[in-house]
Formats: sequence, C-alpha cells, structure tokens
Amino acid sequence: MLKRLKNAFKGVGGLFNIFKRRRQLKLGLYGPPNGGKTTLANRLCEEWLGETMGSTSKVAHETRTIQQKENVIIKKGSKTINFNLVDTPGIATKIDYEDFVKAGMKEKEAKKRAKEATKGVIDAIKWLDEMDVVIVVLDATKDPYSQVNITIIGNLQARDIPVLLVGNKVDLKKASLKKIQSAFPQYDVVGISALKGKNINKFYEALFKIAK
Amino acid sequence: MPHQCVRCNKFYEDGAKEILKGCSCGARLFFYIKKEKLKQAEEVIEQLKPEEKKQIEKDVFDIVEIKRDDMSPVVLDFEAINVRKPGKFEIDLVHLFKKDPLVFKFGDGKYVIDLAETFKTAKNASSKRRK
Repeated sequence: MLKRLKNAFKGVGGLFNIFKRRRQLKLGLYGPPNGGKTTLANRLCEEWLGETMGSTSKVAHETRTIQQKENVIIKKGSKTINFNLVDTPGIATKIDYEDFVKAGMKEKEAKKRAKEATKGVIDAIKWLDEMDVVIVVLDATKDPYSQVNITIIGNLQARDIPVLLVGNKVDLKKASLKKIQSAFPQYDVVGISALKGKNINKFYEALFKIAK
Repeated sequence: MPHQCVRCNKFYEDGAKEILKGCSCGARLFFYIKKEKLKQAEEVIEQLKPEEKKQIEKDVFDIVEIKRDDMSPVVLDFEAINVRKPGKFEIDLVHLFKKDPLVFKFGDGKYVIDLAETFKTAKNASSKRRK
C-alpha cells in the first residue's frame, strides 16, 4: 500500500491519481473452485447493488469467465468504499471432465466445461495484476495446505497486493479456521458463511481495514 | 531447442526470424520440441486416436483464443498446460504465475506459446506500474 501511495505521488498528476484510484478500487475474489467466491460476490452485490453476480453450483468450475460489477458501494457507519468487484474462475492444477461426468453431466458437456475451466484459470491469473485488493476465499472445511492455496497466496504476497483471507462455510461442523490461520499466519483470517451471512459484519470490518 | 514448422516440418533454432515472421513455406504455426521429453511424449501420443488429437488441437486453440484468420505466428510448446486427452488438463500454476508465455502440451512433444497475448500482458503490466 505504501508503495502504491508513493507511486501515486509521483509526477504532476499524482494527486489526481489518488482520487482516480480511490474511485475505482478493483477488488478481486480469488481461490480454488467451490470455495464460495461467487456466493460471497452474490451476497455483496445483493446487499449493495440489489442484484446478483453469477450462478452457483455444487459442481466445481461453475464460474468459468471473469465476472465484474462496477460501483459496488459498501457503507458502514461513516465509512464508504467504492469497489469494482471482480469474481474470478476457481484456480486448479488439474481439471478432468470425468469429475463432471460423475456429477451427472454428459461427456460432451463435461469436456466443454473442462476446456472453459482451463481457460478460466489462465484468465484469472492474467487479471491478478489488475487488482488493488484481493479476497482469497477458502473452504474452511478443507485442508488449506494445498498447492493452489500456497501458490495463490505466495504470489499475492510477492506482488505486494493487499490480501484478506476468508475461511468460508464456517457454519459447517467440519470447518476449522485455526488450520487456515496456522497455514497462513502472516494474514488475518475472517471466518464467514457467505451462504447464510454469518459474520458478514466482521468481514466488512476486515475489508475496510485492508482497503483503507 | 528446435522449433518445427507444422506444415513443412522444417526446423528453426531459438530466435530465428521465421518464428516471428512465419515459415518460408507460408505457415505461421511452429512446434517447440524438448529433446529430453520426446520419448515420453511419443508414448503419450501413440495412445491418442486421430480424432482425439484433432480435438486437443481445437481445444488448445480455443483456450488461447487463436482465431483462424489471425496471421500472427504462433509457437506451440509443452509446459504450462498439459492436455493428456480431450477434457483432461493439468495446469502448472507456477509457470502461469511467472508470466512466462502461455504454453500448451499436445501430448506429443509439441507446444503452444501465444506470443501476442504474452506481449500484451507484459505491456499492460508495465504500463500499469508506470502510472
């Protein structure tokens, strides 16, 4: 953030750039498939825009293209943030159409989904440099020590992009926020249920803190 | 590493002007072949049916958004995305995050790098940093 401020002050247009950036903060939702990125995006959009972001499914890789909503204005007390919210396809190391067939899809449809999901991974990674703030959405019922999680978070850290870690699905018995915290101790972790709205105010507090 | 013209099978070394401008035969698609992986790759491709190879090629072109009327030369490589069969993809995230050129495995030692897209991405990233 400090680096960004320094850059913004460079040149005659520095001051203008600050306001420009403040108006159009790009907030990216990243993470592995089925972590709840789109569910969280829908909750934010429904609450602050009155519309949804995209469809959700139990079958992985439902979001296969970048989805955006501009001017998502979040207000809490005297605080306001205006975001361009970007929902990205789930990042994975292996995409196999047979997994979709097992979930009930026909082979042709499953192969198309696999191809689109692969393209989605590439697009999500390409978009990373555009982001001002990133929310990494992890499924708190799953082991956080995965190659995908470590690679995403490591790269965000290397690129100096502010990160908010969200452990989603904390309403489920198997959820463990502690595991996520011990896997990524350098970040604060907020446990939420995007589906049920649990701890959503804590999420907003953390978001204001990270995006200030 | 040799680059092989898809149409006439002529080999070019790294940095050859034909790779950027197109082969002397007029083709603009090259295969990038890693010698040490040739044998392993040959075993993979032997198991692929002709229609599967065709489908893989089509899928890869869709993924890198190469249009049929696009005249930019394209080099095919093997690393970042390994297509073992149609609908089965293995993705090397580290490679993609490093912003190396997009590379796609056909399963037979042939690779895809979308040069135009790579340069575009690099240009966008550097112009953003300058802001």
